[in-house]
Amino acid sequence: MIRRRDYLLLTTQKLALRKKRAVFAIISVALGVIVVVTANSLLEGVRDVAVKTIWTEEIDPDLIRVYAGENPYELLPPEEGPKQKAKKRIEYLSEAVFDEIRGWPGVEAADRPVVVQPVSVNGFDKRPRGVSEFQGVPEPMLLRYIADRALVTANSNAIPLVVGERNVRLRFDEERGKLESDPGGEKAWLGREVMILLGDNYARITRFQYDYNKREFKPLSEDEVVSQHDTMERNFRVQYDTVVFNTTLTLKGRIVGFCPGNKVLIPLETAELCEKWINQRNRLASRNPARETSEVIYGERGRRTPKTGEYTEGAVLVKKGANIEAIAKRIEEMGFSVVTRARMFEDQARAFDSSMRIVKKVAFAFGGLILGLACGLVWSTTSKTVSDSRTDIGLFRALGATKREIRRLFLGEAMLQGVLGTVVGMVLGWGLALAISHWVIGFARRSIYEPEEALLIPNSIFSMNLRFCLLLIGGAALVSLLAGLLPANRAANVDPVKALKRE
Amino acid sequence: MIHLENISVEYRLKSERVQALRNLNLHVREGSFEAIMGPSGSGKTTLIQLIAGLLTPTAGEVIVSGENLSRLGDEKISSFRNRTIGFVFQFFNLPNYYTAVDNAALPLVFAGVDERTRRLRARTLLAEFGLQDRLDHKPDQLSGGEAQRVAIARALINNPKIILADEPTGNLDRDTGGHVMELLQKINRERGVTVLMVTHDEKAAGFAQRIIRIEKGELV
Ligand SMILES: Nc1ncnc2c1ncn2[C@@H]1O[C@H](COP(=O)(O)OP(=O)(O)O)[C@@H](O)[C@H]1O
Ligand SMILES: [Mg+2]
Repeated sequence: MIRRRDYLLLTTQKLALRKKRAVFAIISVALGVIVVVTANSLLEGVRDVAVKTIWTEEIDPDLIRVYAGENPYELLPPEEGPKQKAKKRIEYLSEAVFDEIRGWPGVEAADRPVVVQPVSVNGFDKRPRGVSEFQGVPEPMLLRYIADRALVTANSNAIPLVVGERNVRLRFDEERGKLESDPGGEKAWLGREVMILLGDNYARITRFQYDYNKREFKPLSEDEVVSQHDTMERNFRVQYDTVVFNTTLTLKGRIVGFCPGNKVLIPLETAELCEKWINQRNRLASRNPARETSEVIYGERGRRTPKTGEYTEGAVLVKKGANIEAIAKRIEEMGFSVVTRARMFEDQARAFDSSMRIVKKVAFAFGGLILGLACGLVWSTTSKTVSDSRTDIGLFRALGATKREIRRLFLGEAMLQGVLGTVVGMVLGWGLALAISHWVIGFARRSIYEPEEALLIPNSIFSMNLRFCLLLIGGAALVSLLAGLLPANRAANVDPVKALKRE
Repeated sequence: MIHLENISVEYRLKSERVQALRNLNLHVREGSFEAIMGPSGSGKTTLIQLIAGLLTPTAGEVIVSGENLSRLGDEKISSFRNRTIGFVFQFFNLPNYYTAVDNAALPLVFAGVDERTRRLRARTLLAEFGLQDRLDHKPDQLSGGEAQRVAIARALINNPKIILADEPTGNLDRDTGGHVMELLQKINRERGVTVLMVTHDEKAAGFAQRIIRIEKGELV
């Protein structure tokens, strides 16, 4: 009965005698494992990043987006030339509809979102940046992103902004001029002042003055505008354009929280004000007509222009624990289109996952191929060891080793190569994956300009699946065991009489 | 102790048949020291291998220490070899990757003895054989006589009842061979171990209590 410890000792001794070969076999096993482990530990992370950055349309799990008739995002823009006839009458959302929905159990809020475009926000970076849209939402929805409720209701003219992702703490890196997520930081991001520019970025002429008492902007007098206009003309003679009449409204805001998607959420009231100001400005600008702009999303989609009190979009916020899909279905039955996270995002995630599975399969097949070759190498190494050890085997048998013990000895050797290779490969694979992760993240950070998008990039796309690793080691042990079976049997059947003969 | 009854061993080589042993009867008493002599190819090694259970006879029965060897399975016969038999070879057969201590302790590995005990017993025995300064030497750093003493220590380490030595002095000069023979005789006398030794050397055979002569597979 050989002790377990001695098995290990004997096998390592045998392997040590054939270092080059053993190292070769171990490296080849490791190579296959590297491919598999690297793929496995990166793919999860890649999915995570893709989920976070590609689908900026991502919505909260308890929010239902409601669209009048059809989902306007699925409509093609109206074509030029011959008039297109709409085939479907569109049901518009109205206060009455929202009122009905508000009355349902499980509904926390239902309202139209006021969408203001274009918007740029200054303060995330040195330069103003475009944000996809500026969205006024019902207060309960806004409050979910806000750690300090007082910020929304505070007696201040600042507009609370909800940007990016929830529960991310920020720090503004002055040197790099970028927002950094800083998990250790105290709520440093709260109360950070930002500048919001409504309207065109080129327009720098101040046309409005803020009336603090009435809490609204008042247009400057004609003379003041003209003098500014003249100054501008002198300063920016080359750049001068009628576009300057597309005035910019500068507002102050502060970041109060983060929500999914590339959206700036603001209180409904504030959004309505912005909408009003933009309309005002448009009317002013039209005195010196510039190219037409379509800043408000209404009316953009075909012939269908809603009347006053009719809306194309709505947002319904569901209470915690309520059945969101049931409510969505009920809204659908009223004749509106709905989008929920489960319907949009999770479907896409599933599609992404299935394509990931293909990538995984390819990587695994490739790794498997290398492992197959490695298996052959383990087999040949063990084979060679057996032929080289015939005399020793004969001696061991003469000294009392059983056939079974000899077989186990060589099986152990094959297994040792497999497991050692797997462990080495795993460690190297993790190292490689970490390096790739580091590089990819660095690349992404450098190439993304939207600061709020950069926030969504995780610090690492590396993940370690312990169960998978154990499975891999177990699999490698099994496969190398199979590779060692034939040589080990040959070893067990060595005739000691012949092996010990020396003449 | 050792009973060979009507033993025949036949090797088959393609078409040829080689009769290595022919109707051989041999009885060896416990505690005796016997030498087997005979010309090359007369079947001496075959005889030793039979007694060790490394070979099964074509006909006849081998009974060693009360065990009918042809009736034992691999596990039992391996254990029998490990406990009852000690081997000494002409060419030592000491793996070069083991030190003298590890070589001497090798049978104890297969007996399942732990490393500490193994080493301790090997050291004691080697010291008894005058090798206390060679414990950690590799076989190729030892002289022929020293190597054979390590081999004898290995044969003796598991307290066997029988030592089978196949030309133990065949690879040694006269004087060294004499020392090895004295060692075997001492083991036989002091420990009561049965020693069965194949040799070509009349002087070596002189140490034995009885000389068995064999020719063409038959006792003469
Ligand atoms: N494995 C074998 N196959 C065929 N013939 C063998 C084998 N082993 C030994 N012999 C033959 O059996 C005879 C006895 O051999 P052996 O016992 O080795 O003789 P000794 O040890 O006395 O020199 C010889 O003729 C030898 O050629
Ligand atoms: Mg011989």
